[in-house]
Amino acid sequence: MSFLLGTVLLAVVTAMACALPGVFVVLRRNSMLVDAISHAVLPGIVVGYFFTRSLDSPLLILGAALAGLVVVLGSEYLSRTGLLTGDAPQGLIFPALFSAGVIMVTLNFANVHLDTHAVLVGDLNLAAFHQLQIGGVLAGPSYLYVMLAVLVVNGVFLAVCYRRLKISTFDPGFARSLGLRPGALNTAFMFLVSVTVTAAFHAAGAILVIALVVVPPATAYLLTGRLPMMIGLTLAIAAGGALAGFWLAYLADAATSAGMAVFYGLVFAAVFTATRLRQRLRARRESAPAAAA
Amino acid sequence: MPLADDGGPAARVTNLSVAYRTTPVLRRVDLDVPRGVVMGVVGPNGAGKSSLIKAMLGLVPPLAGEVEFFGRPLAKVRRRVGYMPQSATVDWDFPTTVRDVVTMGTYGGLGWFRRPGRPEHERAEEAMAQTGIDALAGRQIGELSGGQRQRVFLARALVQAPDLYFMDEPFQGVDAKSQQAIVAVLHLLREQGRTVVIVHHDLATVRDYCDHVTLLNQRVIASGPVAEAFTKEHIRSAYEVAAGDDFLEFTA
Amino acid sequence: MTPAEFFADHTFRMVLFGTSVIGLVAGALGSFAYLRKQSLISDVISHAALPGTLGAFLFTVLVLGADGRSMIALLTGAVLVGTISVLFANHVARVSKIRIDTAMAITLTIFFGAGMLLMRIITDRPFPGKGGIQDYLFGNASVITYADLVTSIGVGGLALVLMVVFWKEFALRTFDADHASVLGFGARTIDALMFGTIVIATIIGLKAVGLVLMVAFVVTPPAAARQWTRTLPGMVTLSGLIGAAGSGIGAYLSIVLGDVPTGPLIVLTLFGFFVLSVLLAPGRSIVTRALERARARRRLKAELSAP
Repeated sequence: MSFLLGTVLLAVVTAMACALPGVFVVLRRNSMLVDAISHAVLPGIVVGYFFTRSLDSPLLILGAALAGLVVVLGSEYLSRTGLLTGDAPQGLIFPALFSAGVIMVTLNFANVHLDTHAVLVGDLNLAAFHQLQIGGVLAGPSYLYVMLAVLVVNGVFLAVCYRRLKISTFDPGFARSLGLRPGALNTAFMFLVSVTVTAAFHAAGAILVIALVVVPPATAYLLTGRLPMMIGLTLAIAAGGALAGFWLAYLADAATSAGMAVFYGLVFAAVFTATRLRQRLRARRESAPAAAA
Repeated sequence: MPLADDGGPAARVTNLSVAYRTTPVLRRVDLDVPRGVVMGVVGPNGAGKSSLIKAMLGLVPPLAGEVEFFGRPLAKVRRRVGYMPQSATVDWDFPTTVRDVVTMGTYGGLGWFRRPGRPEHERAEEAMAQTGIDALAGRQIGELSGGQRQRVFLARALVQAPDLYFMDEPFQGVDAKSQQAIVAVLHLLREQGRTVVIVHHDLATVRDYCDHVTLLNQRVIASGPVAEAFTKEHIRSAYEVAAGDDFLEFTA
Repeated sequence: MTPAEFFADHTFRMVLFGTSVIGLVAGALGSFAYLRKQSLISDVISHAALPGTLGAFLFTVLVLGADGRSMIALLTGAVLVGTISVLFANHVARVSKIRIDTAMAITLTIFFGAGMLLMRIITDRPFPGKGGIQDYLFGNASVITYADLVTSIGVGGLALVLMVVFWKEFALRTFDADHASVLGFGARTIDALMFGTIVIATIIGLKAVGLVLMVAFVVTPPAAARQWTRTLPGMVTLSGLIGAAGSGIGAYLSIVLGDVPTGPLIVLTLFGFFVLSVLLAPGRSIVTRALERARARRRLKAELSAP
C-alpha cells in the first residue's frame, strides 16, 4: 500500500470511527462534553506513556480514556450537588486536567515528546508514519488498524445497545420504568466516546477531533427525522468530508484535520442554509390556508 | 394475557414516605389499588401525585415504606407493570417515527440480542389502530399535536400489555377527540380485567373517567370507590378550602 | 527569591500585573456568563478568536502595510470574529432543531480549524512580525509588554465600565429574561452588550494565557465566588478578586518555581480556590450541605415514624 493511500484510508477510517458514536453524542446533548473529554485525556496520555513507553499502545489508549471519564463523572457529580448551574461543571474540570497535562509535557515528565502544536490539531501524516509490514509486504500505517479496531468496537457496541441507547435518549423515564439502567449505559457509552477521542488524538488533536465527532451527525440530523437514515448519512458525510478535507489540507499544505474541520463546516453551513430556505418556503405556502392543528 | 392467581390487590403501598432533599412530599402513605379498576389520583398542585407514582415504580428513592405489586416486589413483576410518564420528559426532536415509538413497548420483553420481529410489529400495528393513530405511523414524533402524541404513548403502553398501568396526567394538553379516544381505551382495559392508575387534576371529569379515586395531599385523605371517597368533605379537606366555597359546585 | 528581588524585575512585574488584570476582568464578567448558564460560551469565543486575530494580522500586514504585532488591531479582529461566533452559535440553536451545546461545539471547532489553516499560511511565508503569533495557542505570559498591559487595562476597563453603566439591565436580563424587555431596552440589545463584554473578558487574556485555557479564567472564579455570596454585586466583586488573586499567586509561583508554564499554573491555582469553596464555604458547600441534610433526614424520619 502506498503512503498516500494509507494516509487517506487512515483519515477516512478515523472520521467514521469518530462520527458513529457522534450520532448519539449529538442526540444526548453531550457535544461540549466531547470538548472536555478531548482536553482531559492529555494528562492520561502522558501518564499512560510513563507506563507503556509507546504512544500507539492500546493499553495507553484505554488508560488515557479513563481521564476522559473523570471529566464525565466529575461534572455529573458537580451538577448533582446542586451547587453549580448551567454548563459550568464541565468547564471547571477539563482546563485543570489539561493544565496538569501541559505542565507534565513541559517538564519532560516520563520523557514524553509531544509537540504542543500537535496536541491541539494532531498530525495525521505522523500518525501514518509507522507502517505495518506483514510478510515483507507494506500493509499500510499500523495506526490504521488501531482506528479500524475502534471503528469495529463502536459498530458492535451500537449494534448491541442500539435499542437501549435509543430509548434512554428519547425517553429516560420510560427506560427506567422498563428496568433498564440509563446511568450505567451512559457511563459505558461515554467511556467508548473517550476511547475513540483518545485514539483519534494523534490524527486530529484535542480540538479538531470535536469536528470529527460532532459536525457530521449534526449535519445529518438537519437532513432527516429517521435514526437509521441519520446514521447512514453521518457515515457518508464523515467519509466524503474526510476525502475532500484531505485534499483541501493538501492544497493549503496545512494539517489534514484542519482541512477536514473546515470542509465539514462548509457542508454544515450549506445544509443549514438549505433547510432554512425550505422551512421559509413551506411556512409561506402554509400561511395561506388556516393552520389546522 | 391471563391474570396471575396470587389474589390480593394489584398494588399495595405501606407506610411510604418520600422527601426531595429535605422537603417531605409524601407522609406515611398507605394505599391499596384493587384489581380491574380505573383509579384516579387527585389532589392540588404539590400534593405529591407524580411523586407517589414515581416512588411506587422505584424512580425516586423513598425515605421509608414498602410497595408490592400483585403481592411481590417490583423487580419480580416488572413486565406486568407499565408506565406512561408526563410528556414533558420526552425529546420531541428525536429522529424517530410514531411506529418506532409504539414498538418500543415491546423492548422490555426482548433481551439484549433479540430484535423486534413479526409478532412485535403486529402488536404495534394493532395498538395504533386501537388508539386511532394508524394513519400517522410514518410521521416523525415531533410533527404531531399534543393529543396525538399522548395517544402514541398510550399505544406504546398497550403494546407493553401489562396488568397494571400507571399514567401521569394522560389528559394534559389534549384535544377533545384524543381525550375521548384515551377514555375509550381506559375503559376497554378495565373490561379486560386490567388495572389503570391515572394522575388527574380535573375534578369535573373524575366521575366520568374513574371508578376509584385516591385524594392526596401529602397524605392520603380518602381512597376507595368514587361514590364513597369522592365526597365534598374529602375534597375540601384535600384542597384545604373552607366549607361553602362554590368552587366545588360542579363536582357534586 | 525575595519579594523585593521579584518586584525589581520588569518582566516579573509585567507578568504579575498583566495576569492579575486578566483574572480580574474575566472573573468579574464571567459571573454573567455563569448566571446565564452559558459559561462554556467563553471556550467558543477563545477558539473562534484565533481566525479573527490571524485575519487581523494578515489585514494589517498586507493591506495597511503596518507591523502585524499591533495589539489593538489583533484585539479588534478577535472581538469581531469572537462576537460573530457567539451570534452564530445562538442563531443556529434558536432557528433549527440543533441544540445549543452542539451549536457551540460546531462553532468552536470549525472556527478553530479555519484559524489553523490561516496559521499555516502565515508561518509558511516571511511576514514581518509574525514571531509570537503561535503564542495565541498556549499563551506566553513572559512576553507581556508595558504596551500590552496598558491596552488590556484600557479594554478591560471599558468592559467593566459598560457593566457598571448597564448594571440594572444586565442584572434583570440575567435573573428574569422575560421581564427585561419591559425596561425599554430590547432584550437583543442587552444580550449583545452582555455577550460583548464577555467576548472582551475572554480575548484580553489570549496572548498571555492562550486560547485553550482562557475558559478557566471565565468559569472558575464565578463558580468559586457563588458558594460564598448570595447577591449579584457580591458575586461579581468576589469573583473578580478571586480571579485577580488566583492569577497573581499562580504567576508568582510559576516564576519562583522556574520552568513551570504560567497559564496552566494559574488555572490549577484557580481550581484550588474552587475546590476549597465548593467543599467548605459556609451555608452552601458539599460538607455543610451533607451535614445539614443528614440532620434533616434524621429528624424527618423520626417525625414520620412517630405514631
